[in-house]
Amino acid sequence: MADFEQRYRALSRQFHPDYFYNAAPAERRASLEKSSYLNDAYRTLRNPISRVDYLLKLEGLAPQGPEQASKQVPAGLLEEVFALNEELDEVREQRSSGAPAEIWKGRLERARQPIEAKRAEHEAQLRELSARWDATGDRKVLEALRDRIIERNYIINLLAGIERELAASLS
Amino acid sequence: MSKVVGIDLGTTNSLVAYIKDGVPIVIRDQNGDGLVPSVVSVSQDNTIHVGREAQRRLLTDAARTAYSVKRFMGKGREDVRHEAEHFPFRVAGDSGEVVRIGLGDREFTPPEISAFILRELKHRAEAHFAELGEVDNEVDRAVITVPAYFNDAQRTATRDAGRIAGLEVLRIINEPTAASLAYGLDKKHSGVIAVYDLGGGTFDISILRVEDGVFQVLSTNGDTHLGGDDIDVLLMDRVMGGQADRTPEAVQELRQAVIQSKLDLSERDETTINGQRITRAEFEALIAPIVERTIGPCRQALADAGLEPSQIDEVVLVGGSTRIPLVRRKVEELFGRRPHSELNPDEVVALGAAVQADILVTGNREMLLLDVTPLSLGIETMGGVVSKIILRNSTIPATGSEMFTTAVDNQTAVDIHVLQGERELVADNRSLYRFKLRGIPPMPAGLPRVQVQFQIDASGILSVTARELRTEIEQTIEVKPSYGLTDEEVERMLLESFEHAEADFAARQLIEARNEAESVIQATEKSLRSPEFASIETTEISADERKKIESVLAGLKMVLKSTDRETIQKWTHALNDATQHLAEVMMNRSVSAALAGKNVDDV
Repeated sequence: MADFEQRYRALSRQFHPDYFYNAAPAERRASLEKSSYLNDAYRTLRNPISRVDYLLKLEGLAPQGPEQASKQVPAGLLEEVFALNEELDEVREQRSSGAPAEIWKGRLERARQPIEAKRAEHEAQLRELSARWDATGDRKVLEALRDRIIERNYIINLLAGIERELAASLS
Repeated sequence: MSKVVGIDLGTTNSLVAYIKDGVPIVIRDQNGDGLVPSVVSVSQDNTIHVGREAQRRLLTDAARTAYSVKRFMGKGREDVRHEAEHFPFRVAGDSGEVVRIGLGDREFTPPEISAFILRELKHRAEAHFAELGEVDNEVDRAVITVPAYFNDAQRTATRDAGRIAGLEVLRIINEPTAASLAYGLDKKHSGVIAVYDLGGGTFDISILRVEDGVFQVLSTNGDTHLGGDDIDVLLMDRVMGGQADRTPEAVQELRQAVIQSKLDLSERDETTINGQRITRAEFEALIAPIVERTIGPCRQALADAGLEPSQIDEVVLVGGSTRIPLVRRKVEELFGRRPHSELNPDEVVALGAAVQADILVTGNREMLLLDVTPLSLGIETMGGVVSKIILRNSTIPATGSEMFTTAVDNQTAVDIHVLQGERELVADNRSLYRFKLRGIPPMPAGLPRVQVQFQIDASGILSVTARELRTEIEQTIEVKPSYGLTDEEVERMLLESFEHAEADFAARQLIEARNEAESVIQATEKSLRSPEFASIETTEISADERKKIESVLAGLKMVLKSTDRETIQKWTHALNDATQHLAEVMMNRSVSAALAGKNVDDV
């Protein structure tokens, strides 16, 4: 990781637009493009999740959009999805019947907690699997990583659903 | 070679600095004052006053004097509705348009007001270089600082202000980052720094890692509406009760007393405002909620950087409001260490801007600043939800892209709405641009693949390009900022500012010509009425001569009120000529009288 950061700094020193202020327009454009590309790459590789996403794409294992994702929801998550959807329906009903905001806001907050915990658990698994892939290059590990990523996307969607309800409750 | 400077365009005060022999210094006036108050005033005769003079005019002509205009940069009329009533000047503009500031019968956009301040700084710097005997003392390029938490519209407005003032803005850099550059100069250290910047109108927190001379911002957060101004408003509310005189001028006088009391209470335990006693404890209780509002952004910035407060090696204080002891205590409490304040918190940002300006023109690679974009950038998708394309705290320059297609057959245009902010829903984020992507070749629905590419440059400013991938048709997108000026508007304002500069100059020349004419008229009339004149009138002054003098005098009086400077000057010269002989005779008389030791009256 220290090496990664150091190389990033060295490449930044090479390409950053600061050093091309007096250069020809074509060179200035190239510096902007290269340093943007460098920063985008740095960002992708530094974050463990986006790094796995990128790895999967490189290896041709990227999930194929939302259709595949929904087909592959694991049974363990399905239960949580149904429970949450029910809870959200009830909250909407409560809200439309004019219940005070604190009541269903509290319900939404409580609904969020187990899903947040699930996310943390998933991220730990992702870290562990990533380290194993880096060490072994075992394709089975990569497939396991993909399944975790699909589950994680689902969890993020669930959290976003709660977030949307909360936002609606504010307006 | 023309000069390049670093400018801190502040809410309350602005400064200009440059690098002299490798060291950044602030350019001061003859009194050693480096601060130019960010105040602009238009007097009755349309003369523009900037800085201290404009600040004085707040006490005499508040309605024609604008201050804290930085709060209006990049804003629309609706954005400032609540705030407008706190200001003595008129806040105008059409709904959905850039806000306008009315001073007398003229209206200005915030970038135009800021341009007056920038031009003042430019002149100050040019005068300084001329004094040093520099061959080319023109200042035409600058690095200008903005709060780290400024959005795209606010940054663009700042760049426009520079252009209107005749400055090429080499780079917009963030104030806390600039401050860290200034601090980084004498210390070749590495570590993690937190910069806490509480200024007149804005609050920023930035977390940086410094290593091998690279200043890498890890995260930034803040509030572009939180600063010393808000403390002033609280204090004003507290003491207004005892104030009978509510004229804008009286309110401004009170405001200046309030500002003085803040300074006093940083040194002493109590002071008086307008005769009312206030202790430091009362002051701290009053402003505690404001100081508290800075803590949330600090925690968020730490979380975004993935750091605990204990992992911060050094804390740097920037901005005049960090002189308040309560602010220092709170910062020390949060980070668990005593913050740095060796450099003047008012000047450190301008010094850093000068360092960055020097890096740009010299290409010196010892130091490098890697900043981030403070807010996520996204586009509107189905159902009024924002899809994020570039996340906040991404190092800039950065790019992002999104694929669009059509919904109906042969559709040739797609609407795109670009937003900035962290919230899920479109309505809760800042609308940056709305545009129609045209020129899509007619195809069945869903077939076109239009890639829209977003580029944030090193100044944190966005540009957009689009390409239809099936036909490789490149589109240059006409982007009209939601609350900004178009290039044409900026050009026009630049031209107008020159014209007004000329108009101001012409007005001054006219006043000078009138003054001269009046003094010649007075001198002539005084001579004609004097007893001496009576004694020489018959002997040495011919009737024709007297008639000539009187007619030219009458003529000059007639043209005196005209606005034609040349005519006034012509008649002034004519009167001078006509009275020349008279003046000589009178002079001789008084000289000989003096020589004879007699009073003129006795002769």
